[in-house]
Amino acid sequence: MNDLSLGEKLFIQGGIAQDLRSDGRKRLTYRPIYVETGVIPQANGSARVRMGGTDVIASVKAEIGRPSPLQPNKGKVSIYVDCSPTATPMFEGRGAEELSTELSVALQRCLLGGKSGAGAGIDLSSLIVVEGKVCWDLYIDGLVVSSDGNLLDALGAAIKAALSNTGIPRVHIAAEASGEDQPELDISDEEFLQFDTSGVPVIVTLTKVGRHYIVDATSEEESEMSSAISVSINRKGLICGLTKRGGVGLDPSVILDMISVAKHVSEQLIDRLDSEISAAEAVEEE
Amino acid sequence: MRGLQLPLTQTQKVRLQRALEKLESLPSKANSNASVTVADTIPVNYDDGFLKGHGTTELSGEVVATVCGVVERVNKLVYVRTLRARYKPEVGDIIVGRVIEVAPKRWRLDINYSQDAVLMLSSINLPDGIQRRRTAEDELNMRGIFEENDVICAEVRGFQHDGLHLQARSQKYGKLQRGQLLSFPPYLVKRRKQHWHYLEEYGIDLILGCNGFVWVGEHVEAKDEMLVDQADKPDSQTPKTIDYSMSLEGQEQMYTPLETRQNICRIANAIRVLSMLGFIVTVEVVMEVVNLGVSQNMDTHQMLGSEFCVLVAEREAERRSQKKTKG
Repeated sequence: MNDLSLGEKLFIQGGIAQDLRSDGRKRLTYRPIYVETGVIPQANGSARVRMGGTDVIASVKAEIGRPSPLQPNKGKVSIYVDCSPTATPMFEGRGAEELSTELSVALQRCLLGGKSGAGAGIDLSSLIVVEGKVCWDLYIDGLVVSSDGNLLDALGAAIKAALSNTGIPRVHIAAEASGEDQPELDISDEEFLQFDTSGVPVIVTLTKVGRHYIVDATSEEESEMSSAISVSINRKGLICGLTKRGGVGLDPSVILDMISVAKHVSEQLIDRLDSEISAAEAVEEE
Repeated sequence: MRGLQLPLTQTQKVRLQRALEKLESLPSKANSNASVTVADTIPVNYDDGFLKGHGTTELSGEVVATVCGVVERVNKLVYVRTLRARYKPEVGDIIVGRVIEVAPKRWRLDINYSQDAVLMLSSINLPDGIQRRRTAEDELNMRGIFEENDVICAEVRGFQHDGLHLQARSQKYGKLQRGQLLSFPPYLVKRRKQHWHYLEEYGIDLILGCNGFVWVGEHVEAKDEMLVDQADKPDSQTPKTIDYSMSLEGQEQMYTPLETRQNICRIANAIRVLSMLGFIVTVEVVMEVVNLGVSQNMDTHQMLGSEFCVLVAEREAERRSQKKTKG
């Protein structure tokens, strides 16, 4: 329900201009982030992230597949997001289709890099079992349970947490095969390899309202935005992907400024997220 | 209470648990015989005739409750009133609502009830303050008074044949601007004598609507329209539309001053924490929570964090147990 009266809109814009938002946060402060891992036991990895009113769940399933002939030494990852009607009535039926596609594409761009697989945030060559013949296919699914703004950041954090929770079963090659035949595989049920997530980037969305940028906008603040930039940055401070939303045009210098602000914010976010994820895994082990 | 969605450390969880247990152990004033849970038998005198109302059913000759709540008896009607029911308007309630639709000679408002409330054009004071008959031109200018999505404070006049009617005849009622609207379950606001509070030391209006909508905003002087000089009027009115041709500096001058905004955010966060914990929201409790935040030297946004949440719960437990020992 994002219908706001004129007075409320002015209040929100004034707050952002004066660096004191409606809930008292500064422009570059995130809401408290709550991470739970292992929420879906049947999946290889899963996580649930709550940022204020926004609640998302991400799950990772791994299946054996063939690598694409163009990239025989890389595994495959597919990301798909679904917006549940429990978030808002607007999402019922086909209402959420546009938003789901937009989020899926943005996440693919931010985490998987270009079409050739180059520059991917997730290391695809670690998914290979037998080069050219057998690889792991990762299916990453995101579900938006409750929406209060900043869905992309929450989904990015959930995917990062789910990947660090993912265990890929160990594969023994039972019989070698020559040529086009598939080798026989022995997939272990007991031993799991933890997926390496130190290179997985985190997504920071900067929403521009008036002359200022804010991080982690609520849905009220998002209704006031002119444009938004989502940058995915990894631990080394390198940009893995960039998406711009919103119809208002931006000057290139503004975009560069927003990118540098996002880099600055991402350092704290990565640290915070890593500590929350390790705390969540510790709780899960108990 | 719904699950708290906050990252609580182990010690914080223990403290919160202890505070909540202390609160639950305090004896309540209400007659505990009156509260029932599902499938409890309701003590009724079967010889007198009685009517089974909401929340009851007849099961093998006995009157049994179908919901958890308190048994109420009105003459011969016996019913169970749930604690977390939807807002039920009574005559004279002060409520805060949002305009959904502008209809002929009336506005429809959403007030968190099962129906939309109706505010008739004849039930408000016209901007020029003159008491006169509403003409066709007034009807055409309705959007100039209240538009869609405006937030309005009004009073419940009663149930008429076509729905719930409101009135906004006093200067205190009317459009609310320059502030924020909070929404939470209506059972957290108890009916009091005063719902409209002016907090002088902060310069803030706090309106606790009985329907669970609370308005926290800058104080607006309820000026008597008839005394305002006609020539001054265009200057004093806030512009109806965001004038994009106006420079950003001009817009900035119209923003709420930082000091007031800081207080508005503190009060709003205090109310958010109280509603998250499920405590009754009254002015005294809100002020106490705000003072607690200030005394702890907390940043405003930290008031929504886990540490403050636990502190508020502990403080409330202390306060209620002190009240018990005193009274």
